Amino acid sequence: MQRTGLFIERAGFLQRLNPLTKVTGVLLLIGATFLLPAPLTGAALLAGVLLPLAFVSLIGRRFLDILLKTLLPALISLVLVQGLFFPTSDPTTVAVGPLLFRRAGLQFALNTGSRLLVVAGAPLLLFQTTHPGTLVQGLIQSGMPRSIGYILLVALQLIPAISERAVGVAEAQRARGLETEGNVLQRIRGVLPLISPLIVGALVEAEARAIAIEARAFNAPGPKTWLRDIPDPRAEYAARIMMLAALGALIVWRIAWFFSG
Amino acid sequence: MTTSTTSQRSGLSSTALALIPIAIAINVALGQLVQSVLKLPIYLDSIGTVLVGVLLGPLAGAITGLLANVIWGLTLAPSALPFAAVAAVIGLMAGYAGQYGAIYSWWKMALAGVITGVVAAAISAPIATYVFGGVTGAGTDVLVAMFQNLGASVLGASFMQGAVSDPLDKTITYLIVWAIISALPKRLLARFGAADQ
Repeated sequence: MQRTGLFIERAGFLQRLNPLTKVTGVLLLIGATFLLPAPLTGAALLAGVLLPLAFVSLIGRRFLDILLKTLLPALISLVLVQGLFFPTSDPTTVAVGPLLFRRAGLQFALNTGSRLLVVAGAPLLLFQTTHPGTLVQGLIQSGMPRSIGYILLVALQLIPAISERAVGVAEAQRARGLETEGNVLQRIRGVLPLISPLIVGALVEAEARAIAIEARAFNAPGPKTWLRDIPDPRAEYAARIMMLAALGALIVWRIAWFFSG
Repeated sequence: MTTSTTSQRSGLSSTALALIPIAIAINVALGQLVQSVLKLPIYLDSIGTVLVGVLLGPLAGAITGLLANVIWGLTLAPSALPFAAVAAVIGLMAGYAGQYGAIYSWWKMALAGVITGVVAAAISAPIATYVFGGVTGAGTDVLVAMFQNLGASVLGASFMQGAVSDPLDKTITYLIVWAIISALPKRLLARFGAADQ
């Protein structure tokens, strides 16, 4: 079966926490990387917060693996493009082999790269340690519209099925002689026969699904019962309040610092 | 459009609730298919978003775009999350294009695609600059390097890169949606009505 989602079933530390606590933590971490001076903050949060959390949640290697796999192209591009072409009046350069890097550009790449690792890493850790169903239930119980939660969960379930159908359509059209190779113009002409069966099928399916939604009175008002309870100990509630207070304090401090020059 | 399908409470009809998840899955599946099978230099990852916007209006379009990027973040690449705002605006603009009646002629759809592309470039440039440092690891980074070498700032180069790639991508996306909707049976379209929300 094809895996959807980043969630890994383990009995670690973060997996036991309430999803809202983790969402609040992600907000605080991302806020801190933008409000505190780079590159130290990014590096410190990655090495001092994200990595230890990933390891006590028993997913350390998978976390590093996906973080690097998704960010490596961007990081390499960042060093090359900004290292070589960063607009600066500072003439200082650093020679690496035949390449002449600009120092200000490398500094910029270091600052942005360290921040990027936290901005992508914090949500990654949340998704790897939280089942999508639990995450959506937690968000709905704290006020997110039920319809948004429904859309997210159904889309997650549908992606493997639709991907499979897309590959099927591509193979069927190729068997009928569709060109999927050749020059760009030929390949652009191949787009429509691939896409239209997929979308027409989707619209027909959506009609059936809409009738099913109505038949089950999804949009009926009134409170709904949940199959599972997500534990929310008082300590975690307190932790959320403290994290939000810390984020607020950071913002106030940053504004004050900005106006004092 | 019949009122029996419209929920006053959530603002989303059951038709929208049924179509949006499928549109999100189409965004992801086609985005991958176009890159792996056809290997084209365009993304075509917002066909579902534009389709929902044109059929069901700006609100449904914006929700499709926003949640599609959240799903990208949840399943494949957390770095897609910062661009959710851009995807939401693309859906919103497709919704307005639908309300304006752009779907009835191909050149209005092409025009809507160009405008959407420019707006998308303008919104994604600051995100690309302040979160990613102007580059994303894709082939279009070469354009960023070129514009910076010609004297543009990081923000300026990001915008110019977007202004080159996005209008082309969005125009093709809108034209594909136009071609598909024009070919649909009337009975099926009646269910989705016009953009009347």
